[in-house]
Amino acid sequence: MKFNTTRFGELEVDKKDILNFAEGLLGFEQLTKFFVVDPGDQTLILWLQSVDDPKVAFPILEPKIFKSDYSIKLLPSELQSLSLESLSDATIYAILTIPKNVTDMSANLKAPIIINNKTKNARQIVLQDSKLEVRFNMYIELKRSIVAFASDDSKRTKVSAPQVVSNTTSEISTEKVEAPATKPANNTKEL
Amino acid sequence: MLVLTRKLGESIAIDDHIKIVVVSIKGKQVRLGIKAPKETKIHREEVYKAIQDQNEEAAQSDITSLSDLTSDLNKK
Repeated sequence: MKFNTTRFGELEVDKKDILNFAEGLLGFEQLTKFFVVDPGDQTLILWLQSVDDPKVAFPILEPKIFKSDYSIKLLPSELQSLSLESLSDATIYAILTIPKNVTDMSANLKAPIIINNKTKNARQIVLQDSKLEVRFNMYIELKRSIVAFASDDSKRTKVSAPQVVSNTTSEISTEKVEAPATKPANNTKEL
Repeated sequence: MLVLTRKLGESIAIDDHIKIVVVSIKGKQVRLGIKAPKETKIHREEVYKAIQDQNEEAAQSDITSLSDLTSDLNKK
């Protein structure tokens, strides 16, 4: 399937990589189909691109990249809404805002994107934890971890062993998640 | 919208399991107590508004802004 996008041009996306956001995202309730684009640049930032609106793409990042102790807890009903038994079958992303002054970039830790890796159903879930910030400044941490990643390029695509998750609780750290990323068809494109 | 008048200490029941009590009234501020099953999500409306604003701003992110980050990285 080919999709036109404002930022990345035309992209070929496998049908199985299309994510279904049944409820859309807050403020974007009408957009329910997305896919993940990896521009393959140094920043590690991925983009959640809308299928229906070429202009709409959210920069996203796995929170563990800039906040190693990030862990979330979902209610049983929330896990159920994604047909998840635990978060070990899920990918978690934080949506970023990237203003003109890039050092002011922030990540939404309060309402992460949770994707069921098997069904590709996804939701933006507002967590009950009141300590989590909607705009968590993370430029310095991101920069630090990019430098660390760059020194070992193999880390980029490496998927470590599945982690052990207790059956009694839905809490996990976001230590390992598999990214269903789609590379732009034209990798040499200047971004 | 259903509008009900309640006095201090009075409450409203929603479904069988949710109860909202007027705990105190001070000038323009009303304190509400909410009793609900653990799985019920309760947030101040502003939280949703803040997330909606963040989403809208995120969707406008310009990929070229990131070149500042990459050039910052390449400095070393």
